[in-house]
Amino acid sequence: MSLIAWIELIASGLITGGIYALVALGLNLQYGLMRILNIAHGEFLMVGAFITWMVQTQFGFSPLAMLPLSFLLLLALGVSVHWLCFKRLTVTSPNLDVFEARGLMVAFGLMFLVQNFVSYVWGGDLRGYDYLSEPVRFGEIQFAGNKLLVFGLSLLFSIVLIVLLRMTLLGKGVRALMQSPVGAQLVGIDTQRLHPLMFGIGLGLSGIAGCLLSMAYTISPSMGEPYTVTALIVITLGGFGSMGGALAGGLLLGVIEAVGMHFTNPSLKALLSYVVFISVLLLRPEGLFARKKRKA
Amino acid sequence: MTSRQLLIRDLLVLFGLSGWALALPGIASDFVLSMALTCMMYVVLSSSWAMFCGTTRYLSLATAAFFGLGAYSSALLLGNMPWWQVIVVGALVAASVAVLMGAAVLHLRGTYFAVLTFGMTELIRHAITYYEKSVTGTVGRVLMVVPDREVVYLTMVLLAVLAVATSIIIRRTRFGLAMVGIGADEQRAQTLGVNTRVIKITGFALTAAFAGAVGAAMSVRWTYIDPHTVFNPFIGFQTVLIALIGGAMTLWGPLIAAIVFSLLAETLRLQVPQLYMMSLGLLLILSVLYLPGGLASLRVETFKGWWTDTRQWWQSQRYRWSGDKARDEARARQRAKERRDA
Repeated sequence: MSLIAWIELIASGLITGGIYALVALGLNLQYGLMRILNIAHGEFLMVGAFITWMVQTQFGFSPLAMLPLSFLLLLALGVSVHWLCFKRLTVTSPNLDVFEARGLMVAFGLMFLVQNFVSYVWGGDLRGYDYLSEPVRFGEIQFAGNKLLVFGLSLLFSIVLIVLLRMTLLGKGVRALMQSPVGAQLVGIDTQRLHPLMFGIGLGLSGIAGCLLSMAYTISPSMGEPYTVTALIVITLGGFGSMGGALAGGLLLGVIEAVGMHFTNPSLKALLSYVVFISVLLLRPEGLFARKKRKA
Repeated sequence: MTSRQLLIRDLLVLFGLSGWALALPGIASDFVLSMALTCMMYVVLSSSWAMFCGTTRYLSLATAAFFGLGAYSSALLLGNMPWWQVIVVGALVAASVAVLMGAAVLHLRGTYFAVLTFGMTELIRHAITYYEKSVTGTVGRVLMVVPDREVVYLTMVLLAVLAVATSIIIRRTRFGLAMVGIGADEQRAQTLGVNTRVIKITGFALTAAFAGAVGAAMSVRWTYIDPHTVFNPFIGFQTVLIALIGGAMTLWGPLIAAIVFSLLAETLRLQVPQLYMMSLGLLLILSVLYLPGGLASLRVETFKGWWTDTRQWWQSQRYRWSGDKARDEARARQRAKERRDA
């Protein structure tokens, strides 16, 4: 294989990996902070994609203009979902284990609800639109323009999130909550306000990811589930609750998939990612990049 | 009621229900029969799920895997073996896979366990799809020789009775108590001398055996099976859902919920499939939020509790909206200020 083919292969892996990272970051925020394993995460990504598609085809908005809009819409949706479901769960659950199990079940319910709502309203067809689909050349290597844009933006948003968590006071509060919920409350961090907000931001990120995805790929109501699974794989790769790990894990998984698919067979893609997922969970449940950490 | 009376009651209820199930082919139409078949499938799946996963609180999403394994072994063996052996082999295949899977993942608790079992189900599904595509060159399999409808129906009745009877009996043995102990506090159970590893693997294998037997029995109903239908994760989800909505810790909860759901499914799914799935999701959320013990824990007191809760909530809202709260707070502040000044 020539050098250029290698570069193209790795780059295409990185492009899908960027999306994976963005989706996984949102899920990680929810799981790391609140112990809500939101199985419905991919469904909200699908909602973001459908909103973008609808506005783009009906009113001719640029998908780029839809980015903040779908972020805000899903943020609002997330805050209200948290208020309706998870707030009561937090109050009524006797301990964290029970909360986690119940949260998982509620998320399953949300998955059914959202996925079927969308397919009820918009129908189950594949949909899509053209946006920047002409190729861009770098010397001898060429990419589709929209995919490059998707990669750039998803990387940008991931890095912005990580930087925000590192630099701002809000981010400090969030990280404190991740380390020790009780300790954070003792030093005066308002969980009542931070939890809904962060749940909303997690969904907002999946909205952005959906918006980006709809630029480059076709969308359908069942597109969410594979992304949920991928996001789960990514956060196990990177370690539950670790943001940098999620970014690295996402990019890594994208490359693994691309390379693996090239050398074996495209129908092995799903098999490959599950093998990676299960072996990581069994062999290193604390994540590939984790240093010594408290037991979750 | 004493434990003995409870046992007699449970056995009598089971006896009555199985009598109805046996009488059904004589009086009901084909449509009702096929509905009863689906209903019994979910009775077996969710009762056997609740038997292990409900009591130990290990949330397994692998039911679809065992179901599919049973269905596939039935598809492979149906021509060469008598019917009952096919069912037994289906159960054994599923149980042995469960032993392997359990040995690998049962030391993980909670969400890790749920996610891993789901991942393994998908892994098995994709592996079989890949194998069929690349080695045998087909996607699905056609079942040529199928037994009579009557035979299938009787098998399902037998399996359903067996599943419920097993969970009635197991609740009263040391094995069942050990599982409840694991669910309450695994470390304490270990300290008290329960060999948790063996108990968990045995329980998991038992659940899997039932799911495999049901898969083997139900596969003949479709006459054509492919990995996508028999390993459908939805089978696993719906099992969990039914067990949870009915009450995973209880004996009759899963059965009640299975009956309710198959009625709901047949009436709604034909007209608006999405609406059925949406109501499924909504019911799951509502039952987790407001009825964590499941349908079987529903008593008159539950309704009373809801009523007082709603009234209290409404009173507090009225107190806030009418401005009384703001007024009282202002007065309290005023009083505090006067006290400080004095």
